[in-house]
Amino acid sequence: MTKKYLGQRITRNEDPRMLTGQALFVDDVEIPGMLHAAFLRSDYAHARILSIDVSAACNRPGVVAVYTAEDMGDFWKPGPLLVPAPRGIEGAFFHARTQIPMARDKVRHVGEPMAVVIGESRYLAEDALADIVVDLEPLEAVADLERALDPDAPLVHDDMESNLGSFVPQRKGDYEAAREQADLVIQRRIVIDRGAAAAMENRVLVAHWDAKSQEMTIWDTTQAPIPLRNGLAGMLGLAEHQVRVIAPFIGGAFGPKIMMFQPEEVLLPWATMKLNRPIKWIEDRRENFVATTQERGQIHDAESALTKDGHILGVKDVFLHDSGAYDPYGLTVPLNSQNHVMGCYDIPSYYSELKMVFTNKMIVTPVRGAGRPQGIFVIERLLDIAAKELDIDRAELRRRNNLQPDAFPHNHKIIDQAFAEFVIDSGNYPATLARALDMIEYEKFIKEEQPALRAEGRHVGIGVVAFIETTGVGPYEGARVTIEASGKVSVATGVGTQGQGHFTAFAQIVADQLGVDVRDVHVVTGDTAHFHWGTGTFASRGAVVAANAINAAAKGVRVKVLKLASKVLGAPEEELELADGMVRVADIPDQSIGLGELAVLANPMRGAVEPGSEPGLEATDYFGPQYGATANGTHAMILEVDVETMMVEIKRYVVVEDCGTIINPLILEGQVHGGVSLGIGNSYYEQLVYDDNGQLLNGSFMDYLIPRSTDMPPRIEIGHEVTPSPLNPLGTKGAGEAGAIPVPSLFAQAVEDALYDYDLEVLEMPLSPNRLFELCYQKGS
Amino acid sequence: MSNLKTITVTVNGKHYTRDVEPRLLLSDFIRHHLGLTGTHVGCEHGVCGTCTVLFDGESVRSCLMFAVQSDGHEVTTVESLGDIDNLHPLQEAFMEAHAVQCGFCTSGFLMSLIPFLEENPDPTEEEIRDALAGNLCRCTGYQHIVDAVKLAAENMAVQS
Amino acid sequence: MEIAGEYVFHGPREEVWDLVRDPDVLSTALPGAQKLEKVSDQEYVGDMNIRVGPVSGLFSGKLLVSNEVPPESYTLTVDGKGGPGFVKGTGDVQLVDQGDGTTLMKYEGDMQIGGTLASVGQRMLDTVSRSLIRQGLETLDKALQERVAARSEGREAKVEAPTETEFAAAVAKDMAGEALSSRWLWIAVVVVIAIVRGAVILTSGRGG
Repeated sequence: MTKKYLGQRITRNEDPRMLTGQALFVDDVEIPGMLHAAFLRSDYAHARILSIDVSAACNRPGVVAVYTAEDMGDFWKPGPLLVPAPRGIEGAFFHARTQIPMARDKVRHVGEPMAVVIGESRYLAEDALADIVVDLEPLEAVADLERALDPDAPLVHDDMESNLGSFVPQRKGDYEAAREQADLVIQRRIVIDRGAAAAMENRVLVAHWDAKSQEMTIWDTTQAPIPLRNGLAGMLGLAEHQVRVIAPFIGGAFGPKIMMFQPEEVLLPWATMKLNRPIKWIEDRRENFVATTQERGQIHDAESALTKDGHILGVKDVFLHDSGAYDPYGLTVPLNSQNHVMGCYDIPSYYSELKMVFTNKMIVTPVRGAGRPQGIFVIERLLDIAAKELDIDRAELRRRNNLQPDAFPHNHKIIDQAFAEFVIDSGNYPATLARALDMIEYEKFIKEEQPALRAEGRHVGIGVVAFIETTGVGPYEGARVTIEASGKVSVATGVGTQGQGHFTAFAQIVADQLGVDVRDVHVVTGDTAHFHWGTGTFASRGAVVAANAINAAAKGVRVKVLKLASKVLGAPEEELELADGMVRVADIPDQSIGLGELAVLANPMRGAVEPGSEPGLEATDYFGPQYGATANGTHAMILEVDVETMMVEIKRYVVVEDCGTIINPLILEGQVHGGVSLGIGNSYYEQLVYDDNGQLLNGSFMDYLIPRSTDMPPRIEIGHEVTPSPLNPLGTKGAGEAGAIPVPSLFAQAVEDALYDYDLEVLEMPLSPNRLFELCYQKGS
Repeated sequence: MSNLKTITVTVNGKHYTRDVEPRLLLSDFIRHHLGLTGTHVGCEHGVCGTCTVLFDGESVRSCLMFAVQSDGHEVTTVESLGDIDNLHPLQEAFMEAHAVQCGFCTSGFLMSLIPFLEENPDPTEEEIRDALAGNLCRCTGYQHIVDAVKLAAENMAVQS
Repeated sequence: MEIAGEYVFHGPREEVWDLVRDPDVLSTALPGAQKLEKVSDQEYVGDMNIRVGPVSGLFSGKLLVSNEVPPESYTLTVDGKGGPGFVKGTGDVQLVDQGDGTTLMKYEGDMQIGGTLASVGQRMLDTVSRSLIRQGLETLDKALQERVAARSEGREAKVEAPTETEFAAAVAKDMAGEALSSRWLWIAVVVVIAIVRGAVILTSGRGG
């Protein structure tokens, strides 16, 4: 019998290499004659460049070249708009101002490159940075979102009339009419600040132009090797086949590594062609804090209109979104926020205005969650406040407003990040909620445990929030599956891998289709020489879009296997089965042939291949979903606050996750754990603090705190609901970002519940012990 | 390139004599001069623990040391543990418990845990979490790493 | 970053005024301070190399004195930039004759800090600069007292500047065990200079 791998806890194929230090990361690439780059970055958030004198740097021993924008000639141009704005939204506008390879006339954020030194070692290149003399005229910077929209605010882009980069109004139903009918209207201002993705591996790049073979090889910590290859080829005037981008093992990405054509990524390929020597650039952690993209800054003026029995009649949300100095990633993040404000609820009317604002800070692009945590925070906070006002239990209020299982597909009737109407394909929200309440023993805690704890003077609170996550967006991914003469199977797909276990999850799917051992399926991701169609790893789409493409390609191979084996074994296809690396006649196990042998027969050295047939046991296929599958879940936690120190201890953490069909529960759990840890960071530890002049004040791991093992709950207990997505054959929905999305709203609710006697209302994220102390003791100030 | 200093270091039992600049970090020496790229570098300011190696048997952050300080000393890196076909019990447990995602911080965790498990062959979950607190992981949320350490301790107890 | 404080000098206001207008005294009062180029009575410039461990870079500083009302008050503008970042600030300094032979210095200003100084140094900045201001002013006060004493005794004033090591040790003490690198030292030194007027070339961590 064929071993079923789908849904099994399979340990990972890639682990032995990683555990023994044998996995190739970009910084492990060593090429003889390789040079090293170091970038001179602006210390000012906003300044005019009067002159840059690189002569001393050029003369330093070990320096091969120093380049500024002036040296780039026609190659200097703003990067492409990676994601355009959706069309057809009445009253909407979007001004594209994409990042530039090196600042030419002015700098717009701290960390923006002004010059690059190429030297014989990184040490020497960094020495030479100190020799460069830049004459800058500091300009007033704008860091605050609201200040940026003042009529007299300094302009980030001089050619614009204001710092308002985009405006997108969207409406569903008639909110004003709903408000008229409401028994209760809640209005709040909600502020969410920035955080860092902080992958343990910084960005790294090696660019190698080989003049003799006329080929460019680029090793890059990118989430999107194929679009990067295509774009760079165009910029450099090369054919796409002359450029190979390899994203080998990547030390975590969490979003910013999807940001393409960053200055370093454009400059190194250009410089290697000029110098005809390979060049490496390793970002250091300090650079990562100022020159790698970030996310989350938004200010929402939100309101909800409800009946006295707690039914939501409508929601209104007008919000500012901080884009930083440029907007290459379009509106993905704020559109996600705008869409997710409706959460998993039946909201008949919705009016939202998205205002994207330029500031003199690092560029904002998606970070795990990508705008969704902000949207979920808004709706979940509005519900919590309503529950208090109406004296309805928090969980009960959510139950009353949940979309019901028969509501799908549910069209929210506004435009989402994929530029189509936001339709939720499937789900069972009440079941997810109920399971989470059951697992955390909500009723028992509220009725028995909490009163007893409070009587002891302890501050222990419970939280429960629900969320959705739009995942698995198009346009498409592809894959090629090949059975080799050894009987082993190779798979190539265009998406890159940053720790998600693709080498195993994808192998499971292929192993099931072809009846081979999962360890005999070798997966290659993120190398344009192996597969060169595709978009990338983002938006929780690997297990949806790429996995279904791989499934389709494996099915294609299966068809070829059966056809050829039927001929070879002289048995009808219906009687054949694929198992243990063989094709055999179901009832006659002796009558069989190994897949390797069959592969050799399919690729003969002599004789003729039948007209119309293809050699080999290989198939390539693609998958593009009609629209994105929407995952959902409920998180619940119990935490205790020490009111002396305001330190929190998370005592229990429950996740109920519905991401459709589960490929590998072990890997899924890992994804959820990691997401939750980022969410905990976003709630209580991680905040990028900028001063009014756009200076980052905590740009190191000494001051920017990411959760440690001791900050996490003792256990994250996970339950699964499975409503397969009807939008793809495997029935999968994405799960990569889900864990991070509801945590801030959950944390806020649980903290309020714990500090019941402080009459706390949390309307901001992230908190910290200091901030919580202020909120408790300095109310009204 | 003047001012070089000759050092002799024993790394994973093998003697290396090299001329190095006094400012060369031990982490860069291990990775780029000796080609032992299993040791990774995450922050270069001693917080993340990714670059952890053993220095005369003790866990140290190799980004906070200069190569010249290792002259005459013994350095042990992840490459000294098991190999792909014959994993060390700790590595095996990491695989079994899915304690690895991107794998970048992993070597640092392993090299912090080797001396920890020698001193605490039967650690409690709290002790494990304390031992892990000097290493940052952004992928796993640590739970599977805690599981792996427990599993490794059990397996190593059986084997010894 | 806002900087404000008071300090009592043990000498008459005119003497204090002369002291803080004498670049040579200032350069001996601060470890690392070497020389100072006087562009005019109101403007000083200097370059400085910072090099400690992995942090190194060329720093250029400019100082402007304005709104001078001798011997009562003046305004200072300091502008320095280099490898580790930049410092820009304006401060008002007032000297009040207390009528008992002592002079009260009141200072108040706002400093903008950028680059690595800001992103990595922030949390130590307050403590270190306060500590260095205090020590810098104490050193100046000693010089002042020596001047006053020397004058009354009809001899040359001798001022011995504390060594850099002594200075750093005192800061470290104030920091209550927190690690210290030249970056904080430098910024704090600039703050001190801004208050007592003068611009210096200094190499902090020299010999280290």
